[in-house]
Amino acid sequence: MSSDEKPAAAPRSLAEALRARDDASLTALLRSRPDLITPVPTDLTQLATRAATRASVVRALERLDRFALQTAEALAVAGDPATYGELLGLMAGDAGDPAVAAALPRSLATLREQALAWGDDDRLRLVRTARELLAPSPQHPSPTGLGPTVQEATAGMSPGRIQEIVTTAGLPSTHDSVSAVASLTALFTDRERMAALLAEVPDDSLGVLERLVWGPPYGQVTADPAPRLRLLLDRGLLLPTAPGTVVLPREVALHLRAGRAHRAPEPLPPAVEATATHRPQMVDATAAGQAYTALATVEELLRDWDEGGPNVLRAGGLSVRDLKRTAVALDVSEPVAAFWVELAYAAGLLASDGEADERYGATPAYDEWLERPPAERWAQLAQAWLTATRTPGLVGGRDAKDHTLSALGPGLDRSAAPEVRHRVLTLLAGLPEGSAPSTESVLARLRWERPLRGPQRDQEHDLRAQLAQWTLSEAEQLGVTGRGALSVHGRALLGAPPAPPAPGQEAAARGTSAQEEPGQEAAPAGRGGPGDKLPVHRHHRSAAATGGEQADGLQGPGPLAAREPLSPAEQATATAAAARLLAPLLPEPLDHVLLQADLTAVAPGPLRRPLAEMLGVLADVESKGGATVYRFSPGSVRRALDAGRTAADLHAFLAEHSRTPVPQPLAYLIDDVARRHGHLRVGAASAYVRCDDDALLNEILADKRSAALRLRRLAPTVLATQADPATLLEGLRAMGYAPAAESAEGDVLITRADSYRTPPRTAPEPVPDGPPTPDATLLSAAIRAIRAGDLASTTPRKPTAAPVAVGELPRTGPAETLATVQAAVLTGEALWIGYVNAEGAASQRVIAPIRVEGGFVTAYDHTADEVRTYPLHRITGVAELADEES
Amino acid sequence: MNGPLIVQSDKTLLLEVDHERADDCRRAIAPFAELERAPEHIHTYRVTPLGLWNARAAGHDAEQVVDALVQYSRYPVPHALLVDIAETMDRYGRLTLSKHPAHGLVLTTTDRPVLEEVLKSKRITPLVGARIDPDTVVVHPSERGQIKQVLLKLGWPAEDLAGYVDGEAHPIELHEDGWTLRPYQKQAVENFWHGGSGVVVLPCGAGKTLVGAGSMAQAKSTTLILVTNTVSARQWKHELVKRTSLSEDEIGEYSGTRKEIRPVTIATYQVLTTKRKGVYPHLELFDSRDWGLIVYDEVHLLPAPVFKFTADLQARRRLGLTATLVREDGRESDVFSLIGPKRFDAPWKEIEAQGYIAPADCVEVRVNLTDSERLAYATAETEEKYRFCSTTATKRKVTEAIVRRFAGQQILVIGQYIDQLDELGEHLNAPVIKGETSNAQREKLFDAFREGEINVLVVSKVANFSIDLPEATVAVQVSGTFGSRQEEAQRLGRVLRPKADGHQAHFYSVVARDTIDQDFAAHRQRFLAEQGYAYRIMDADELLTES
Repeated sequence: MSSDEKPAAAPRSLAEALRARDDASLTALLRSRPDLITPVPTDLTQLATRAATRASVVRALERLDRFALQTAEALAVAGDPATYGELLGLMAGDAGDPAVAAALPRSLATLREQALAWGDDDRLRLVRTARELLAPSPQHPSPTGLGPTVQEATAGMSPGRIQEIVTTAGLPSTHDSVSAVASLTALFTDRERMAALLAEVPDDSLGVLERLVWGPPYGQVTADPAPRLRLLLDRGLLLPTAPGTVVLPREVALHLRAGRAHRAPEPLPPAVEATATHRPQMVDATAAGQAYTALATVEELLRDWDEGGPNVLRAGGLSVRDLKRTAVALDVSEPVAAFWVELAYAAGLLASDGEADERYGATPAYDEWLERPPAERWAQLAQAWLTATRTPGLVGGRDAKDHTLSALGPGLDRSAAPEVRHRVLTLLAGLPEGSAPSTESVLARLRWERPLRGPQRDQEHDLRAQLAQWTLSEAEQLGVTGRGALSVHGRALLGAPPAPPAPGQEAAARGTSAQEEPGQEAAPAGRGGPGDKLPVHRHHRSAAATGGEQADGLQGPGPLAAREPLSPAEQATATAAAARLLAPLLPEPLDHVLLQADLTAVAPGPLRRPLAEMLGVLADVESKGGATVYRFSPGSVRRALDAGRTAADLHAFLAEHSRTPVPQPLAYLIDDVARRHGHLRVGAASAYVRCDDDALLNEILADKRSAALRLRRLAPTVLATQADPATLLEGLRAMGYAPAAESAEGDVLITRADSYRTPPRTAPEPVPDGPPTPDATLLSAAIRAIRAGDLASTTPRKPTAAPVAVGELPRTGPAETLATVQAAVLTGEALWIGYVNAEGAASQRVIAPIRVEGGFVTAYDHTADEVRTYPLHRITGVAELADEES
Repeated sequence: MNGPLIVQSDKTLLLEVDHERADDCRRAIAPFAELERAPEHIHTYRVTPLGLWNARAAGHDAEQVVDALVQYSRYPVPHALLVDIAETMDRYGRLTLSKHPAHGLVLTTTDRPVLEEVLKSKRITPLVGARIDPDTVVVHPSERGQIKQVLLKLGWPAEDLAGYVDGEAHPIELHEDGWTLRPYQKQAVENFWHGGSGVVVLPCGAGKTLVGAGSMAQAKSTTLILVTNTVSARQWKHELVKRTSLSEDEIGEYSGTRKEIRPVTIATYQVLTTKRKGVYPHLELFDSRDWGLIVYDEVHLLPAPVFKFTADLQARRRLGLTATLVREDGRESDVFSLIGPKRFDAPWKEIEAQGYIAPADCVEVRVNLTDSERLAYATAETEEKYRFCSTTATKRKVTEAIVRRFAGQQILVIGQYIDQLDELGEHLNAPVIKGETSNAQREKLFDAFREGEINVLVVSKVANFSIDLPEATVAVQVSGTFGSRQEEAQRLGRVLRPKADGHQAHFYSVVARDTIDQDFAAHRQRFLAEQGYAYRIMDADELLTES
C-alpha cells in the first residue's frame, strides 16, 4: 500500500481507521483476532465496537509479545493522542536507543494491525479499553511503575494548596487551578527547568524520589512528614493521594528516568541458546531409536490391556493404582506411564468401552494401526501428540476443586498446549541442525513472546512454562527430538523446511535482517514521517505472495516455520513427510537371536513381528531396550507346548533363528519338558457311562442309534460324551437300556480369553480456546460481508422523514445502541433511552452511562436519581439528548 | 553405529563378546559397570549408582562414561539415560570428609545447597557437631562410618579423605622364591594402597589371598584378617606362612576352637557374630591391638553385624577381597560406604587369557529313578526327599561308568551320605575319607593320591572342606547340598585346576531326574553358565551306552 491510498482526512474513530484499511490488512486483523468474526459483524462500526470490548481487548493484549506490550503500556501513559516522537521518547529515553528505535515501528504496526492502536503517527491513540486496562491506577499498578499525572493526582486538591505548590516550585501564581496544574506540568516536563529545580533539592530528599522512581510510585508518610518529605510535597514532586499516602507524579518519574517508560525495554526477542551441538546423524539416530521405543511401549501397553484393561473410575479416568501397575509393567515412572497412556488415548488407540462395567481397552483403530509400517505408526502418534489439548503432565496434580487429576480423566485439556508445543518445536527448528537448546533460554523466549500481565501472572506463568518443559521432555520420549535437538523427522512434522541453514548461513541471515530494519526505518524518515502508517500491510502482502504462510517479522532470522499450528490438511501432509523421513532411520527388524547356555536368548535388535511373538510365548522377557533378553524356563517352554507347538517345532524354530548353535542345555530343556508335557490329559465331558461289563459298552458303541450321543471310550469300562446327562439318559433309554443317573460332578469349563475391544470410538477432539483461526476463504467472505454491511449503513441517505414522535420510545439497532452508549461513556454525555423492564413494561429514561461491560450498561439514571444497571438487550433504542439538555 | 554394546533401558549393558571391538569396549566399561553374567556370546553388565560412584572414586568422570557408552553402543543411547548417568556421577564428591587442623574430622562441601539438604536430614543431625563456616561442619570422629552410610543412603556419597592411622608396626615381607606376584595382583595391591581403602574384585581362583599378602607386605603392620570359616582361616595361614616372612607363631587363629591374638590374626565371621546374652563377646578383638590393616575375605558374604563393627574402624585401612560385588542381600551400598570403593577389577577373560584360570568342563548326568523309588519318593516326608533321590542306586552305576571312562586320571568322588559313599568305595575299590577317618590316615591317603599311587578317592563333605584336598582332573559329585552357589563354584575352582599337560578338568554331577535334586542342579547350572563354565546335560542311559 502506498500513501496515496490513505484517506484524505485523518480518521476520527477506530471504525473510520478500520474503514481506511485495505482487505489484506483487515484479513491480518481478523486472523490474529478470530473472535471478532464469530459471528461475522454486520459492518465496520460493529467490528470496531467489538474490537473495543473488554474481553476481546484483554485477549488481544495477552497475545502480544513483550515489546509490543511494552509499546502499548507506553502509549497508555503517553498523552492521548500521542505523537510518534513522544512514544519513541518513552520507549527509548532521552538518550535514544537504536535497537528500540529500530523495533518500534514493527511493534507499533502490530498494535495497529490488531486494532489496539489507531491514528496517524502524529495522532496515535490506544483503543480506550486498552488504555483503561494498561494505564496506571491505584488498583492496577502499571508494569511501567509509573504513577498518575500531575493533573490526575491534583484532581481533588484545594485550589489554595495548588497555588502554594506552584509558588514554592518557583512559578508565578495563576488565577485558576487548571492553569496552575498546566504550568506545573509544563515545568515537570521541561528537562532543563526541572533539572534546575531538582538541583535545589537536598540529597536525602532525592533519595526518597530514587526509591519511588521505578515503582511502585506510592509511598507511606506519617501525619507529620519529615522535613525531607515536606520539602518534596511542597514543590509537588510528591503529591498526596490519600491520607498517609503520597505518589510520585508521572512527569517527575519520567524526568528522573530520563524519559523512559520502561526500565528495560526489550525490543529484541532473547535468543534461544544452544547448549550442546551433536552430529545431526547422531541426533536423528537417537530420535529414531526413541521413536522405535515409543512404538514398542504403546504396543506393550495395549498388549498389557489386551484382555480387558483397567476399570474406568466413576469420575472418569484411570485409578492411581492402575497407573502404578501400568508403570511397573512398562518399567517406567508414573508420569511417563501417564504420558504413554494419554498418547495412546489421544491417538484413538484406546478408549473406554462404555459398557455398564466401564473399562479401558484398545479400539478397533488399534488393530488397523498395528498393520501399518512403523514409520507411519509413529507419525500417527506424533501428530496426535502435537495437536492434542490433553496434557499428561498434569496427571497427579490437583484441579481448582482440589480433586486429583487422573490419567484419561477429565480436566486435562489445556487449550494452550498445541500452540506451546508447536512454538517450542519451532524454536528448536530455528536452531542449526543438531543443536540442543537450554530449557531456560526456551522458556525466556516464550515469556518474551507471550508475557503475562496483571494478576494471572503467577498461575498462568506456571502453566505455559510447564507446558514448554513438558513439551521438551515428551518430544524426547517420543523421538521427535534426539539428545535435545530436533530431528529431521521432527522438523518435517512441524512443516518446517527440511534443510535448515548451517550456522554460517544463519549468521548471514541475521546480518541481512539487521541491515534491513534500520533501512526500513530510514526511508519513511526521509519522507518526513518517522514511520509508515501501516507497514504491516506491505509485509503481509509480500509474505502472502511468496509463501502464503504468515511469516512474521518476529521470527527473526532462521527458517520460518509456521508460527501458528498447521491446519489439519497441512498437518497431514507434514505428518506424511515425517513418516517418509523416519522410515529409513528406524532399525531394520532382525530375524535371528543369540542363544546361550544360561538359557537366555538375546535379540540384538528389534525382531520381526512373528519371531518376536513366538519368542514371547516360548520365553520370558527379562530385559528390554535396544536389544531384548529372553529367558527360557520349564514354565515358558510348557507355555509354548500348550500353545500347540511340538518339541520338534521348537527345535526347528530355534535352529532356524539362532545365529549360534543351539546350546545343549536348552535343547535338553525343551525335550525334557516335552517328555512330560501331555503325559496327563485333561478334557471336558459332560456325561459318562460306566459299566463293569465291557461287552455291554461294546454293544452300545456298536449300536448305530448311539451315534447321536457321540460317545467316546476313555477306558474299557468308561464311555464319555459331550451330551448332557439328561440327553444321554434319554438316548440310552430309547435304545432299550435302563441306565441309572449318577451325581454329575467335575465339569470343567475351558474358556479362552479373547482380545478385548471397545466399540468403535473416535479420538478425543482437541479443545481449543476460542474460535479457530479462520482460513482465507472464510476471511475474505467475512470481509466482503462486513464491507457490504458497512456500505449499507454508511451510505448517506435522506434524513428520516418523521422524527421520533413525542412520547414514542426511541428505536435503534443493537450495534448502534452499543456504539452510542459506549460513546456516551467516553464523552460523559447523558442519553435518552427506551427501556423494557422484566415485566415487559416500556419506559423512557435519561441516563448517563458510566460503564459498558458484559452486556450491561451501568449508568446514572437521571429519572430515578441513582446508579442503575441495564441489560443492553432490554434497551429498545437510544437517542442523544438535544444540546441544551447536556 | 555397529558397536559391540547394547544399552538396555533397565541400565544393563549387553556386550557381544565375539565382536572385534569387544575387548576395547570391555576395558572402557569395566570401571563403571559390574559384570553380572558371562555366558558364551553376550555378557551382561549392570550400571548402578554405586558402580558409577566407584568409577568416580577411581578418577573417571561422567564424560568418559558417556563417551564409552556412545562410542561402543550399537544403537543410539537414550538421552535420558545419559543425563541420568551424568547426574548420578555428579553427586559423588560434592561432600568430603577430611581432617581439619583445629576441628578434627569435618564434612565440607563444594555445593552449599547439598550440605544444607543433608544437614536437614534427621539421620544426619546426631552425627555432626558445630557448623564452622557455611561450607564446613564438624563430624564426631566416632561417627565417621555412620555418616558415610547415611550420606550414601541420602544419595550424596562422601569422599573420605580423612586418612588413616598407621597402626602397630610389624615387619612383613613377601618371600618370592620360585614365584612372583602376577602382574594383575601387583596392580591390585598398588591400586588399593594408593586409594587407601577399598575392594579388590578378582575372579575365583585368581589368587586373592596373594593380593592380601601383598597388601600386608606394603602395610608392614599388625593385621586382622576376617574370613568366612575355619577352613578358609587355615588356608590363609598356610598361604601366609608359605609366601611371606611370617612364621606360624606370628599368625593367630581366632575361631570357635582357638582364641589366639597375634600380630597377624585370622578371625572367622562366625565367631565375631556369635551373640551371648544380647552382646557380641568377641568384639574386643577389634580393639585388642592397634591394627594397621584389616582384610575382609569374601566381602560379598560379609555378615550384617560385621558392617556395624566396621563402621567404627574407619580410621584403619580396610581391604576387601571378593569375586563379585553383587550381594544376595543387596547391601552393596554398605560395602561401598564402609569398606570402600572398588579399587581393582580384573576382567575375567583377560586373566583366563593369561592362562591363570580355566573353566572346567561341567556335565550333569540325569538318572531315572526306578518305579518303586518314585513311589517312595512321592510318599517320603519333605525332609527325607532329598536323601531318597540323591542316593538312588542308579547313581552308583553311572559313577562306575565315569570312573571307567577316565581310568588312569586322578578322580575324586564327592558325596554327602556315608552309606552311599561306603557302597561306592566298595564297588570302585577305592578308599573312603569321611569324618571318622583319622588325620594321619587322611594325610597318608592324600599323599598317595597326589603321588598317583591311588587314582580314585571317595571323599565325604567333611573332606571336601579340608584345605589340603589334593587337586584332581575329574570330580564326580553324587550328592551334596549347596549353601551358596558361589561357594560351590569356588570349591570347584580349587579342586579343578587346569593341568600343566593340558588335560582338561571335568566335573560330573549326578542328579536324579524330576526331583528336587534336579532343582538344585538347575540353580547351579545357571550360575555356572553365567560364570562362563560350559556345561551340558546327559541322560544316564546315554552315558552308560557310550561306555
